[in-house]
Amino acid sequence: MFLSKLREALICLRAGRVTLKYPFAPQEPKPGFRGKVTINADLCFGCGGCANVCPAGVIVVSDKEQYLRTLEFFWRRCTYCGKCEEVCPEKAVRLSPQFETATNAPQDMYMRLDVFMGPCQRCGRCFPPPTVLDRMMKTGFREGLGGGRA
Amino acid sequence: MTAWLIKTFLLCVLNVAAALLLSPLCEGILRKLRATIHSRVGPPVSQPFWDIFKLLGKEDLRSTGGLVYAALPALTLGSVLLLAALVPIGTGAPLSFAGDLIVVLYVAAISSVLMMLTGFGSGSPYAAIGSSREMIMLLTVEPVMAIALAVGAFKARTLTLGGIANWQVQNGPSISMAIGGVAFFLALQAVAGKLPFDIAEADQEIMGGLLIEQSGPRLAMFRWAIWTKQLVLAFLLVEVFFPWPHFGVYPADLLATLVKVMALLVLVTVIDVVNPRLRIDQAMGYYMRVAVSSLAALAFAVIGK
Amino acid sequence: MSTVNQATVKRVKETVAARCNGSLLAATEPHADTLHFTIDKTSMRSVVESLVNGFQARFMISIGTDSRPLTGDFGILHLFSLDRDHLYILIESHASDKDLSVPSITEIIPGANWAEREFRDAVGVHPEGHPDPRRLLLADDWPEGVFPLRRDFPYNYQPPPAEKANPQLREPPPGASVMPMGPFFPVLEEPAYWRLFVEGETIVGCDTRLFYNHRGIEKLGDSVLTYNEIPYLAERICGICGFIHSTCYCQAVEKAAAISVPRRARYIRTIMLELERIHSHLLWLGIAGHIIGFDTVLMQTWRIREPLMWLCEEISGNRKTYGMNTVGGLRRDFPDALKPKLLETLAEVEKEAIAVREAIIGDPTLHARTRGVGVLTNDWAKKICVVGPPARASGVAIDARIDHPYAAYDEIPPRIATQEPGDTWSRVVVRVTELLESIRLVRDAVWAIPEGPICAEIKKEIPPGRVGVSVVEAPRGEAIHFVLTGGDNRPYRWRVRAPTYPNLQAMPAMIANANIADVPITLGSLDPCFSCTERLETVDRKTNSVRVYSHAELLEISRRKASSGASSPTARRGGSQ
Repeated sequence: MFLSKLREALICLRAGRVTLKYPFAPQEPKPGFRGKVTINADLCFGCGGCANVCPAGVIVVSDKEQYLRTLEFFWRRCTYCGKCEEVCPEKAVRLSPQFETATNAPQDMYMRLDVFMGPCQRCGRCFPPPTVLDRMMKTGFREGLGGGRA
Repeated sequence: MTAWLIKTFLLCVLNVAAALLLSPLCEGILRKLRATIHSRVGPPVSQPFWDIFKLLGKEDLRSTGGLVYAALPALTLGSVLLLAALVPIGTGAPLSFAGDLIVVLYVAAISSVLMMLTGFGSGSPYAAIGSSREMIMLLTVEPVMAIALAVGAFKARTLTLGGIANWQVQNGPSISMAIGGVAFFLALQAVAGKLPFDIAEADQEIMGGLLIEQSGPRLAMFRWAIWTKQLVLAFLLVEVFFPWPHFGVYPADLLATLVKVMALLVLVTVIDVVNPRLRIDQAMGYYMRVAVSSLAALAFAVIGK
Repeated sequence: MSTVNQATVKRVKETVAARCNGSLLAATEPHADTLHFTIDKTSMRSVVESLVNGFQARFMISIGTDSRPLTGDFGILHLFSLDRDHLYILIESHASDKDLSVPSITEIIPGANWAEREFRDAVGVHPEGHPDPRRLLLADDWPEGVFPLRRDFPYNYQPPPAEKANPQLREPPPGASVMPMGPFFPVLEEPAYWRLFVEGETIVGCDTRLFYNHRGIEKLGDSVLTYNEIPYLAERICGICGFIHSTCYCQAVEKAAAISVPRRARYIRTIMLELERIHSHLLWLGIAGHIIGFDTVLMQTWRIREPLMWLCEEISGNRKTYGMNTVGGLRRDFPDALKPKLLETLAEVEKEAIAVREAIIGDPTLHARTRGVGVLTNDWAKKICVVGPPARASGVAIDARIDHPYAAYDEIPPRIATQEPGDTWSRVVVRVTELLESIRLVRDAVWAIPEGPICAEIKKEIPPGRVGVSVVEAPRGEAIHFVLTGGDNRPYRWRVRAPTYPNLQAMPAMIANANIADVPITLGSLDPCFSCTERLETVDRKTNSVRVYSHAELLEISRRKASSGASSPTARRGGSQ
């Protein structure tokens, strides 16, 4: 009886203290960790592939006018599966290692991305302007509206 | 006369203060020890003080009424402090003229009975189960404590605790008192509410048992009473059964007692950490066996060992 | 895959045809190991009786489908398994709108109790002759006559709130008092309501109300999500066996659509499944210790499993929801660079697990709390069709990895651990043995893992109307996924049966005449996963009478006051709390 208790006590004492100092010290997740999604707005051209594959339906694509496609991201329902990252042709969507996403403000977990598009001359569907100058012309040289900025 | 009165009063205050202030500290050290064995950092040693402070400031949600029910926490703490004044801590017990070992046993039982009443009075079925288990534990553990103390009384031919302690100091260790000490130690494990016998109080199986309906200042007082009782009975055990080395100088004696009490409580905690909880019928069986075995101590005492 | 005994197949076909008396409507073999019989519902009992008694078939689950768009009526399927012969047997019968009932098979095989109540709640087909047709799945305030799994029921329908809806629970037998455990169950901290009838400290009966957490996952699967989105939902059925459910679902679809999964993917699936088993069993050891107050075991076993969780995070990107499965294989490869780290972590976990086993095996206080507690006899285990470690601890040697091999288990078969006594201690022993066996399996798989693609290329659309049954041995037992493929890129019917579903039905048998203090550890020793199970109600039973249902039911009926037809919730409203 005492032998087994002694063995148990030995296991405990040999291990030492394993408590991590988090949150009093930062804790980095392992590489490859699927955390909060980040979008590089410069690279996104509004194909909507991410919206197509998202299992939770987090991404909503709407076309406002001929030249404006809006992508809305409701990050609070994201399941961090990473399908959007897999599918994105421009590598604009990335899963960062950020896991501290608790917040009181719902707007922290909402993002809206406006992509300015130009129509294709053959089929009439929109695509984003290829150069910076074209982008500025599209927005009518308005202040503060860089094409494709979130 | 007045000088004696003042001295007794001051000693009482000292005993009570020592018991009250030392017990959360003791509890904090024991929690830290428990955490270390669990391989975790654990709460800071001052955590019990913060717990009491926080609870005292909370709302008192009482599920049933009645004046007696309302007064029970204070009465429980009061009875434990009375026990502290009856037990020698470092020197003779200040109130030893008022009570000997039989009174001590009864006062020790009062706090358990009061907690039981709280459980029955709170109206929760879980508390009722906790109370009935506490009752069974009390009935099974009291005889063990009584037999252990009776051995001391038999050998020293006196019923006062101070008398037994003095006899021990003069005559040195003996087999019967050693057995009695071990029996009292086993009883302490149950009375302090430590695993494997924490069946009544901190029972995860029935959602907290006895004290489930207590909150705020009431819970603070109950918890404080439990910690203090644990400390005071440890003092009793050390002073009566293992009073060596004895210096005759009050501060040195006090220090020696404190060291021995801490060592004892560390042992209690280590046993607590490496054991699961027993069922009430298993605990009952265990203590009946302990009671019968400790009768051997009486036998040794009779033949003079 | 192991070969199916053709002689047995022939015998089964002949027996079923004979028992049908000419009402056998169809007999197909959709896969080498699946037999699908469609019979007229009148011969249901006879056929089931021949399977259970003649072939010792094990009842797995029942599936209720609204197939009105396809065949014009409702389909009820009962799934059986012939474990030794590696066969699945589906018995299908139909109930039309005008006669919404099928004969109940619960009297023949008590394990079908909850399954039949479930399809009654889900599609509205009544099991005729069921001893206890109370509400199982649906909330007490759910309106009558509204059946969620019917095709015309929208998945986001919200019924109006009800005034007073109490669960319909039984009254205690005379002389006994009620001790409620729940609806916030104290030890497991999950919503479960057990109503124990006690005399002193001994339990004389019980009743439960479960399924507070029912989330309607199967409905989402056949209405909103597509084939490749469902694995992510399946992963979230359970809080610890996510990969099991997503693998099981993918396997069911792959079987139905005859997609062959590449060998490398099968090996990686095996590795991840066994890793899940290791950390789940370590978690369970901790919880069992916590239930009996042994917090040290909790802290130490969870400390031991932590490096394994970090490793899973490195392999898949998340500690528990790996997100690796997709129909056809995997979408995320196992990084070969992590192999040395995996082996190193496993060695460490194995060393510590063995140390813990040596320490607790001789612990008398632990034995005092677990030996002889919560005994489930071999007989009852077979009647209720219990699965997993509780079954193996009662001497029933079933294991989905051997009986219906999947992933890479045909190449790396595990050794099953069985015990005879059927008490809590034997369940501990079985799980610890399995834990160490899993470590060996992962090592073997890592050494043998082949190169190659990880996902099959699926060029064509998955054809509708195909049936696929798949099982996976979860840490808690056998998990079953049944898929009936549909058009528009989603299943027509997806049925999930978690292992805790039959195991919970064994609770009344295990706590009969036990001490109240033993109820939490008994429940804990089943390793219940309520989020998998989507709770249900049980009936109380006494172990000393064989025909428990009818006996208890008769007593209850004789004591019950007038009114109450069994299924009306208004009959006992405002009662018994």
